[in-house]
Amino acid sequence: MLAVTCERNMSVPKKPGGKALEVLQNLPRITLANLRPEPGSKQREKKRGRGQHGGNRSGRGHKGERQRGTRPRLGFEGGQTPFYLVIPKYGYNEGHSRRPQYQPLSLKRLQYLIDLGRVDPTQPIDLTQLVNARGVTVQPLKRDYGVQLVDEGADIFAAKINIEVQRASEGAIAAIERNGGVISTSFYDPISLGMLIKPVPFFMRGQPIPKRMLPGEDMVPYYTFAKNRGYLADPEKIRQARLALAQKYGYILPDISKDELYHMLSMRKDVRQIFFGLAPGWVVNMPEKKILKPTDEKLLKYYSS
Amino acid sequence: MAASFTLRGALLGVSRLRCRTPGPPAGAAGLRFVCNAGPEERRAGIIESTEEYKFVERLIPPSRVPAPPRHAGVTPSGWSPPADSPPPLPYVIRRSRMHNIPVYTDLTNGSRKMTLIRKVEGDIWALEKDVKEFLKEVTGKELPTQVNEVTMTLKVKGHFDGELKQWLTSKGF
Repeated sequence: MLAVTCERNMSVPKKPGGKALEVLQNLPRITLANLRPEPGSKQREKKRGRGQHGGNRSGRGHKGERQRGTRPRLGFEGGQTPFYLVIPKYGYNEGHSRRPQYQPLSLKRLQYLIDLGRVDPTQPIDLTQLVNARGVTVQPLKRDYGVQLVDEGADIFAAKINIEVQRASEGAIAAIERNGGVISTSFYDPISLGMLIKPVPFFMRGQPIPKRMLPGEDMVPYYTFAKNRGYLADPEKIRQARLALAQKYGYILPDISKDELYHMLSMRKDVRQIFFGLAPGWVVNMPEKKILKPTDEKLLKYYSS
Repeated sequence: MAASFTLRGALLGVSRLRCRTPGPPAGAAGLRFVCNAGPEERRAGIIESTEEYKFVERLIPPSRVPAPPRHAGVTPSGWSPPADSPPPLPYVIRRSRMHNIPVYTDLTNGSRKMTLIRKVEGDIWALEKDVKEFLKEVTGKELPTQVNEVTMTLKVKGHFDGELKQWLTSKGF
């Protein structure tokens, strides 16, 4: 903190920045010649090789490898097999760049976004809606395959929503269903994920919306299980799983079919659909606000398969 | 060039014109060409519609922070809206862009803990006095503070963001 070489007056300021402003207005012009650091803020550097304390052996110790600067490499233990060689190699991080990652989203953060009006609970919540609300940041180029719901904040969560994520923990599923909401997990291949996160740059490209690819062999079991509310699972089994989860966690499962928002809560995307309401094969013309749809048989057959 | 071809097309027959719009010559049928025709024209094999465009509008990200909906009291996530009228104090602490209390913790050199209160307007020395009193009740110690009148911020030694945020919300900021 720079101290100006003058006395400060102790009157109570009546305007903001009061004391400092008054002092500045009454003093002579500040130049380099008027400034000096606060006493005690700057400590003198110890110059090696000079004076009583910096000189003599200059902080190098007495003789040996220490003073002469010929110490062995880091990790060397005098000939004993060093620690970093004694421990055997194991593939903890092998293939780490090929493992799918999921950005965590806690229920507490989701509740915060809904409370601040950044996410609309009256519409189905999609990854696009979450990214538009700046609630999560997903990087498909860093092996992110989407968002996972974490059950931190499950006890304070109180919102009825229709949410679609890529992975969800059991506690999170229970918390959402307890409040009368609907949760489903679905798979997006990396290209579809890039489109989902940034739809506007994709529409500006002028390419037709592609089909969403189905999950790979290792992910099919996850998305066909009713317990995970997978999008490929049997709806009957999902209903049974909802009841089972309600029994396990000890809450009464509210009946969604009698809800006024039932139509919104039951909205689901088709297996090959990326965006709500837009089918694969369509081209979006943003400057003219139009959608171009193909009519050729072969194209329609391909896109609806 | 294009004019002569359209003339030739007209001379040869109407059926030709029906299948292909006047433009690039017949020999270029294998090449992909960008449609420069007017939007009202119906291109072969494409339907245009404006009904589903509302789904596209839903996907466009908003460029401004939306105003939070009206809440009466504390929300389930712990956020509470500011009071309708500012409290009768000589200072005012505005909310941040995302409608939160501007109290932040800082950690320098690995162990230097500080709490920063930003966006102060009015008499900052009165705020400093109140903060010192409040923290004396909470901790029992006189904590060193630093007032910066230029940036209108207040720094306190130690991490007290939770307590200060609650105290400021209870005041109505």
